[in-house]
Amino acid sequence: MRHKLLTCLALYLLFGSPAIAQEEQGAVLYSAGTVYTMSGAPLSPGQVLVADGKIAAVGKEIPADTVGNAKRVELGEGSVLMPGFVDAYTQTGLESGKPDEQSKELTPRFQAIHAVDWKSDNIQKHLHDGTTTMCICPGTENVIAGIAGIIKTAGEQVINDDHALVASLCSDPASRNSSRQRPDSIYVRQPTNRMGVVWILRNTLSKESKELDTANPVDQVLEGKRPLFMVSRVSHDLTTVATLADEFNFQPVVVGGQESYLVTDLLAERNYPVILSGTTTGAMFGPEQSKLCWNQAGILDAANIPFAISGSRQLEQARFACRFGLDGEKALRSITVSPAEILGIDNQVGTIEPGKDADLVALNGDPLEFTTAIEWVMVDGKIQERQNTKREAKGN
Amino acid sequence: MSHLSISKTGLLNTGLVFAIAMTCWSPIQAQNSLAIRGGKVIPVAGESIENGTVLIRDGKIAAVGVDVDIPVDAKIIDATGKVVMPGFVEAHSSEGLSQANETNPNVPYISVMDGIDPMRPYFDSARRNGVTSVAVVPGNSTMIGGQAAVIKTGGEFVEYMVLKRDAGMKISLRPADQNSRMGHLANLRKALDEAKRNSDKEKSDAEADPKATDKPEGEKAKTEDKKSSTSSSQAKDPISSELTKALTQVVEGKIPVFIYCDQAMDVGQATRLIDQYNLNAILVLGKDCHKAAKHIAQSKLPVILDSQLVFWDKDPRSDKEEKIVVTETFRDQGIPFAFQVARANSGTLGNNYLWYQAATAVKYGMPKEDALKALTMVPAEILGVDSFVGSLEKGKDGDVIILTGDPLKNGTWVDTTIVNGEVVYERGKDEKLEMLLGNSQQR
Repeated sequence: MRHKLLTCLALYLLFGSPAIAQEEQGAVLYSAGTVYTMSGAPLSPGQVLVADGKIAAVGKEIPADTVGNAKRVELGEGSVLMPGFVDAYTQTGLESGKPDEQSKELTPRFQAIHAVDWKSDNIQKHLHDGTTTMCICPGTENVIAGIAGIIKTAGEQVINDDHALVASLCSDPASRNSSRQRPDSIYVRQPTNRMGVVWILRNTLSKESKELDTANPVDQVLEGKRPLFMVSRVSHDLTTVATLADEFNFQPVVVGGQESYLVTDLLAERNYPVILSGTTTGAMFGPEQSKLCWNQAGILDAANIPFAISGSRQLEQARFACRFGLDGEKALRSITVSPAEILGIDNQVGTIEPGKDADLVALNGDPLEFTTAIEWVMVDGKIQERQNTKREAKGN
Repeated sequence: MSHLSISKTGLLNTGLVFAIAMTCWSPIQAQNSLAIRGGKVIPVAGESIENGTVLIRDGKIAAVGVDVDIPVDAKIIDATGKVVMPGFVEAHSSEGLSQANETNPNVPYISVMDGIDPMRPYFDSARRNGVTSVAVVPGNSTMIGGQAAVIKTGGEFVEYMVLKRDAGMKISLRPADQNSRMGHLANLRKALDEAKRNSDKEKSDAEADPKATDKPEGEKAKTEDKKSSTSSSQAKDPISSELTKALTQVVEGKIPVFIYCDQAMDVGQATRLIDQYNLNAILVLGKDCHKAAKHIAQSKLPVILDSQLVFWDKDPRSDKEEKIVVTETFRDQGIPFAFQVARANSGTLGNNYLWYQAATAVKYGMPKEDALKALTMVPAEILGVDSFVGSLEKGKDGDVIILTGDPLKNGTWVDTTIVNGEVVYERGKDEKLEMLLGNSQQR
């Protein structure tokens, strides 16, 4: 017994008191009206202790000895802290908006990470809207376009430069092809229709499955070592995704999924995650004349299909998803922890839990209300975007 | 007569002898009464009323308050737990038109009344989102684009929907095609000058013909045709008179002008034209016009904002992007404004709804009461229809919306839309909404 106590004391001396450690690293304690940790029920009121770019502690009231001499910031009544948003599929930030390779239909070794323009205004805007992590993907006009990279929207930080392989099972590779007009140009490519897209995919997969090359990204997908994003929107393409996946035994992530609400049984049975993108209140039809349903997210949720909401203005999209029928908590999950899980980075981002990156969004009210504004966005412990400065100055 | 019966029934309790009620109410009148009771009434003009009643009779609001006697055979809508508000007024839209712009750049004689298609999905969406009145205005691409009208959103035939026929003339300061702004302005002045000359000549003709001046204002228009035919010796043929009449009324300040300013620089040109021709103007602003906010404030002109309220503006020299919140800029200058909505397309997220524009303004610091006024009273005043719509007050049109909760809240939907005392939208019967939400069998 005595021996045990001594060990404890020794350990304490060895690692030092947490308070001392935080003082050295400039720890900050943020107190908010409500903290949506996304790893449990919201804490109201709540506190988040940030030290060294990480979340050191979170709770209703963090004990004084843990807080130590950390700087205290009161965010005020009605304020909300939540995790920074994770965008699981975007082309934002790709250099000069050219996400598509035009010379070939298969470019599996191309990496999006090498084309990231870190100074891009679009990344800044994404950050401004609360997105702190994003998965940058090559375009949709190649049958197999290349490899996605996961980055932070501030600090030029790469989380994973070698993430999923991105393939298109939609009409995009066919629609861009203008070989009929210009037979002597680099645009002379297959496919020119949807059948061709599928044929090229199947052909590639069957070739690779016969002769496995562990360095080939397509083979890595077939071995289950690399995720595959399949951009697919209309219901019959989603069905084909399942056909190919069954045939070659891989587990795709569906991207786009505008008509996924029509094939929920198929998706639920196989447990394919869906990354929804581009929620709109305007059009009745999406890309490829897909029939849009406002409550897409709510229907996927009811069918127990894992899904995330991606693209620009994620919070606004989540708000409308909630308005159209998705449960409020699930709406917030769909832009934080759910995409983090789909990307396999939920040990690092997506929730407010000790040890995770200090990526936070501070708001002045209920995150799901249209009248609520983002006050600031923090990435890795640093406040990047202070907003509504005018209102603060006016004392509102 | 109708006032008499109101005061009589005011003395009666609703449950009182039916026979007495019969003597006071003709069956037709009784059928036309609608009482919305039990809800929280936000009249916009005045404080909100808990558990209030709005009584509509013959299409007009007869009473608003807590102690309102409801005629025995009035139709009753129970709004318990709901919010009752005046219908929203949309100050500028071309969405109700089958085609927004005429190809000819100078068409003051055309009217939206000939181009409104009540079957357009716009009207479904308007009723679903609480809009009961809309100013349908020709588009922004025609120099003198034609005449606007304020109409109600409920109805199948435009003649029965119209609230104000001569709502204004549309003038766009954005040059069409390859024209320069110099050429555009010169053409515009030429047209206005001509109208001014016509107007002056008509005045001098009227002075020469004292009978016409004796007539009251309302009858003047009727005599105009006769006048022009009698003075045909002055080389003024009746056809051109009919074509120029509308523009003549504009330079006489009789009908307002909606002046579309595309760039901030157009605002200065607009105020110059307004001074020069003594126009009664409403500014329809493009998103760039926030840069002219100070000038707009000085001009004290009514303002209709662009549909993009929040956007990033790139500085051409530094290449740095700045976030612009238009409502904030205009509120800083103390300029009252009405909203516009965006044309719905695949990239639209929210700003195709008028209420969403108000919610955005609140998000950036506008008090909620002011935002609700910007949806109702402010546009009604700008359009000159505030004696009919824009608030729940006795005598105004029975344009009422019943919301499932507080306005501008995420979960709040329009439950019922009432135009002129008639229910034109019920959420429970909105099959299109059910389809959009994926609740219908068609899935």
